[in-house]
Amino acid sequence: MCELGTLVATFTAPENIGMDAKNLLWIFPLLLSVAVIYKATKMRVIFLRRFFREVVILFCTLSFVMLLVAALLHVGVWRLTG
Amino acid sequence: MPRQSKIDHGLFLVIVAVLAWAVPGAGHFVIKERKRAVIIFITITLTFITGLYIGSVGVIDPVGAWPWYIGQMMTSPAVGMLGQITKTGQYTSYGKPADIGQIYTSIAGMLNLLCIISAVYMAYAGRGEIIGEDEDV
Repeated sequence: MCELGTLVATFTAPENIGMDAKNLLWIFPLLLSVAVIYKATKMRVIFLRRFFREVVILFCTLSFVMLLVAALLHVGVWRLTG
Repeated sequence: MPRQSKIDHGLFLVIVAVLAWAVPGAGHFVIKERKRAVIIFITITLTFITGLYIGSVGVIDPVGAWPWYIGQMMTSPAVGMLGQITKTGQYTSYGKPADIGQIYTSIAGMLNLLCIISAVYMAYAGRGEIIGEDEDV
């Protein structure tokens, strides 16, 4: 009962996340969720091995595109302000 | 298709949609897409719980952040019960954790909306027509 209370209590106060660049890493678990759900709804038949392979490919593609967009935005801001 | 059968099929689609909303993955489960259902349930539940863990239940705010709340409500009607608890303002969340928590919980809801549509479409089209004869390669 005490353990359950402790578990519930972790959901009543926010985690301590700073304003540094490291908090951008939180995007990757979300990209993984998007990749898994997209493939789970799109694949005609779920064969686990092929499913995992396609999820990894989509996750890497999404991550690469997000990093590319971030880099382009960074360069754009640097050119405008620097 | 006879009239009675059309009504039954329409009712079945509604049941699939409501189940898919009530419990993520349940819509696929009733149309016997068990693996898909398990994957959807685990992924959406984990995404939503991660959002709650990061930003606390305070990220579910039907008063101050109602546009996010609409997205969050797509996860399950149970979110509405959480919304009733947090409406009192007892649990506050702000700053970066609130942002990340809101994004996670709302994206979980939007992904579940995609799954609801997918389940209803599969039920409408007939599972066999969609599946075909693929092989694991």
